[in-house]
Amino acid sequence: MTTRSTVLPRSDFLRAPVLATARPEGYKEWHHFVVYRPDWRLLVNFSLTCETHPVRPPRLVPRVIVVAHDRRWTGVVERFDDVEPDVSPDLGGLAVRGNQMTLSHDGYRVVIDLPHHDIRGQLHFTPSGRPSVVVVTNEPVGDGRLNWLFVPRLRAHGWFRLCGREHRFEGDLAYHDHNWGRFRWGDDFGWTWGSVLPTTADDPWSFVFTCRTDRRRLHALAQVLHVWHYDRPIAVFRDAAVTLHSSGLLGRPPDCTLPPPMRLVLGGDASDVPASIEITAHRSGGEVRLNFRPQGYARLAQPSEVALDRSVLLYETSGTASVTGIIDGEAIDFVGAGVFELLHG
Amino acid sequence: MAESVASLLRRSLDHLATEVPESYHHLLRVLGPLLVEIEVDGELFWMRGGRRLDVTDSGNGAAGARIATSRAAILDLLDDEMALGEAVEAGHVVVRGSLDDVVRAHDTLMAYAHAAVRAPSVPGLLEALREGTPGR
Repeated sequence: MTTRSTVLPRSDFLRAPVLATARPEGYKEWHHFVVYRPDWRLLVNFSLTCETHPVRPPRLVPRVIVVAHDRRWTGVVERFDDVEPDVSPDLGGLAVRGNQMTLSHDGYRVVIDLPHHDIRGQLHFTPSGRPSVVVVTNEPVGDGRLNWLFVPRLRAHGWFRLCGREHRFEGDLAYHDHNWGRFRWGDDFGWTWGSVLPTTADDPWSFVFTCRTDRRRLHALAQVLHVWHYDRPIAVFRDAAVTLHSSGLLGRPPDCTLPPPMRLVLGGDASDVPASIEITAHRSGGEVRLNFRPQGYARLAQPSEVALDRSVLLYETSGTASVTGIIDGEAIDFVGAGVFELLHG
Repeated sequence: MAESVASLLRRSLDHLATEVPESYHHLLRVLGPLLVEIEVDGELFWMRGGRRLDVTDSGNGAAGARIATSRAAILDLLDDEMALGEAVEAGHVVVRGSLDDVVRAHDTLMAYAHAAVRAPSVPGLLEALREGTPGR
């Protein structure tokens, strides 16, 4: 069942045509989708990055990123230098060659067509009931600012072909976020960003955690744990109410580095992906303890925009998450799946 | 006929100079006075600095660092099939010279790679290298 609602079109439209035109330097925007299946995770990302050139005017460079975790992470970062992104007049649609993302009252339609990599798919992400959207604006990231919104729980229908296999989705749980702002990769910031969903679609709980830090991760600048019960935001734990504790090291090399040539500049394979992430949150009438155990990770690398000889690493980790606690009399005790993104400067 | 690696390297340096001039000048500074001899599948050429980076067909035997490799090994490195250290240990990339010159050659390679990943036109040259390599 789909629900007709204006919440998504009113809030999740593309900002680039207005904001990047007004002031292009450092502008970045991306739509990010994660599909959860019991033994499979799929990440699809549409991004627009404003790139300056010594001679030519600035332009928005589109990328399509597909990363999936089966037994290992694999994927591709496809950059389209010779393609102007096609944005629909209502700012709800983005097309890059055969790849499209369309936002409408009943959710998101995503088409992926990367024939050189034998990657294709059509996905329809629908909210069940009235979509729940959280918007966070104007958060400092280094000297820049980042805005984001997320939809914690969607259902995915459709199919996706990757690594010679076709996967079908029939109501699998999914997560979506949308980020936009002006900042420089490599500036003084980092983040831990995780979503946890049940492995069975009828389990009512969903969790999203964000923690912004400085680049060295010595200071947590802001951290929030959001909890949903069915489609209702039931609790938000902020800052001092939340404790993040990472322990141990996963101690294994990345399953892949994307784009692959970045491995040359990164040198080794060492990482500081922890063996365990423990998030505890307390407030009057509620407490939550969430433990995430990464099982593997993909390494997405960006050239630093601050230093000519440095890179920025985003670790996409997948693993098991167990959550216990109680909120307003509702007991929480479930084991689900987590996808955490670790930006470690 | 496949485009020579020297020609691809020349074209990539032109792209770096126009698209990422700060990275290009950083590369020039790192290379300094070192003359590097490069052999790829028997194709021999030299890279030197100065006011600009030049790729020449003659080095007058004065190279401080000598690198021998293959198109296939370069693609393996860029496709993340093999790490640079593994390639050297396996003999797919052979480097000769004094320690200081070998370290400088390594730092130059890293500066070149950092510049290349920042230049929008360089991935197209990678495809040209791939097209000229049998089995790729």
